[in-house]
Amino acid sequence: MATNSSLFEFDPGFENGRLRLAWYAFIGALLVGGGYAMWLRITQGMASTNLTSIVPWGAWVAFYIYFVGLSAGAFLVSTMANVFEMEGMHRIDRDALFAAIISMAVALLFVWVDLGRMDRMYFPFVWRQLTSALSWEVHAYVAYIAILVTELYFSMRIDLARLADRLDGFRGSLYKLLALGRLDTSEASQAFDQRWLKRAGILGIPLAIFMVHGGTGVLFAVSKARPYWNSGLFPVIFIISALLSGTALVMVLYVLRTRLFDGNSVDRDLLDRLAQLLIGFIVIDAALTAIEALIAFASLHPHEVETWQVVLFGEMSWSFWWFMVGFSWVFPLVLLTKRSWRRSPWVMVPAGLSVVIGIIAVRFNIVVPAQILPVMEGLPHGSYFPSLVEWGTSIGIVAVGLLLYTLGAETLPLTPLSGGDHE
Amino acid sequence: MSSTDDGETLPGVPNVGTDDLDAMVDQEQVDPRDELADVDADTDLGIAMAEDAKRVSRGELSGEDYWSKYDEAANTEFGEAYRKTPNPSVQSGDQTIDADVAEDLSCTVGSMESVAVELAEAESATDDTSSDKTWGMVIDLQKCVGCDSCTVACKAENRTPPGVSYNVVMEEEHGEFPNVTRTNVPRPCMQCENPPCVQVCPVSATYKLDNGVVNIDYDRCIGCRYCIIACPYGARYFDFGENYDDEVEEAGEVTSPEYGVDRGKREDGKSPVGNVRKCSFCTHRLERGEEPACVETCVGDARNMGDLDDSDSEVSKMADSSRAFQLKESEGTDPNVYYLK
Repeated sequence: MATNSSLFEFDPGFENGRLRLAWYAFIGALLVGGGYAMWLRITQGMASTNLTSIVPWGAWVAFYIYFVGLSAGAFLVSTMANVFEMEGMHRIDRDALFAAIISMAVALLFVWVDLGRMDRMYFPFVWRQLTSALSWEVHAYVAYIAILVTELYFSMRIDLARLADRLDGFRGSLYKLLALGRLDTSEASQAFDQRWLKRAGILGIPLAIFMVHGGTGVLFAVSKARPYWNSGLFPVIFIISALLSGTALVMVLYVLRTRLFDGNSVDRDLLDRLAQLLIGFIVIDAALTAIEALIAFASLHPHEVETWQVVLFGEMSWSFWWFMVGFSWVFPLVLLTKRSWRRSPWVMVPAGLSVVIGIIAVRFNIVVPAQILPVMEGLPHGSYFPSLVEWGTSIGIVAVGLLLYTLGAETLPLTPLSGGDHE
Repeated sequence: MSSTDDGETLPGVPNVGTDDLDAMVDQEQVDPRDELADVDADTDLGIAMAEDAKRVSRGELSGEDYWSKYDEAANTEFGEAYRKTPNPSVQSGDQTIDADVAEDLSCTVGSMESVAVELAEAESATDDTSSDKTWGMVIDLQKCVGCDSCTVACKAENRTPPGVSYNVVMEEEHGEFPNVTRTNVPRPCMQCENPPCVQVCPVSATYKLDNGVVNIDYDRCIGCRYCIIACPYGARYFDFGENYDDEVEEAGEVTSPEYGVDRGKREDGKSPVGNVRKCSFCTHRLERGEEPACVETCVGDARNMGDLDDSDSEVSKMADSSRAFQLKESEGTDPNVYYLK
């Protein structure tokens, strides 16, 4: 995949051929397993899950809000570069946007597999309900994906044009197509792109914060039948934990892609900047969660107090203490304390991965505990752990995301050809 | 078993001669002439028609011949009453009469169901407030004995699959031994005036009807289960597609026309499988002028059904009484199911 250009070094694939093979084999194995689980899901219907009428929402919903959060967080990190013009952040602009798009695709796949009638997935665009948060959300997701794609286009267009100019054959035509035929590489065209990139970003910020992820939080918070969710702080925590997971994801992707794909050394200042952001988000996330718990306990509202007791001391409390507190707060915070560690890629990757995994538990601890206690005394208690089919399909859907991301990272100029910042 | 067995007797069943039983029937039978003497219509015609009707049921006479024979006489005898009453023989499946004969009959030809519908229509035409009805249920907790027969009747009526039970009886025990009390609270769908389930449905598949019932359109429901999450009463259930085929042969053969729609045989991938379900106040029964199955079956007469908008109705009087309360009144849902303390 050598380029015939003397001006640009463009070789976006894996540096190491064996690693590439191993990675695709790994994704392939996950896809085969996930595909089988999906076949079981479709043939056996919802009976293949461990869901019940008492706990109607489970792993798929948890993963859905997780990936919406990941997307919103990654997008907001991208706006630090293209809207707020934070120094040295342009390097990760496209990485963040592309990850945000893939995350949304994965999130929507989770929504789809969760529907009792998967064949009716388009119904929310045919019939609506103004008072339904979910009805608004599906429209917000579509608008948000449109914004993300627009942004990635304006961010990447000039490099696509440069590549279309310098490469022949299929790849050249592909880049020409992706640039939508706008092959002008002049400064004026770049300025145009950046102006529209910023405009789309400005539109996207409130959309991502208030509609896409705040809105997903509202979806839960409006449910007064579940006092654990029914709080004003809830959507805010949603947004903060989204920022936390999104920043961590972008950090991990940046290091891995720079090292494994570009073969470059990591910009340590940039890494430190991301790491410091991560510290801030961890502190805010932990503090707001503590406030939320405090309000619940102080209310003495039996349903809220008991739900928190389920979270803290119940059967599944390990997911709270080990994954939520341990993986998403304490462990990364320890790794982030030392300046030299923050500047070391191989310390920051485990720190970031730890957060990315820990936030999954945050999402499970949002969805499941509120359904354990019965809504009325005298009704049965709920109990839920995902079935093998639920785990299998979830892994398969995540593998689809990994595959899409890898294919994109191997073909698209996600690293600006000009190196770091926009010139 | 015994040596005197004549081949007809079953083990353990006393051998009563069937002739004796037939004699008992004859003894109980009233004299037709005496019976018909009390009515205005022609006694001889009545007896002749009855005798021939027996022959029809024995298969000695066809339905066509029967009606050809008596049509004119019946028309002369009963006049307008005969002409206006539909003759159900044409549509009654096993006793169908030939279309040509039906054509010749001087009376209207139709099913008994059409008679019932016409009667109901005539009634509603005279009573113009019936369309403004708000169906409500009042459950007297002092009368409820906790027998769960409402739950069973509901299952039998609505043919709900395993895991779906539109009605449950919540049992609450209070106090410490020996001073304990137990309250049974039957819980159908509350048919709230402000239903949280309707509020959250992204496709408007569930909505409030004018008669107070919260409806579900199974053809529109996508199965996202948001309404189950939103319901403060746990009254909604997801249909996972399970059935009672292992317990009861051909359990899926009989279905219930929920919300007034007959969907035929239950099949995988066909609604309501994959949809959310709940109590409909037995809409299909209300439409026929019957009470919901749970109300009809209640052994203690604890359940009452009626029009909450009609201030003279029993339910609205009970709902106004000082004993009346609703579940989770603080939620602001304003259920149309009331309880009496």
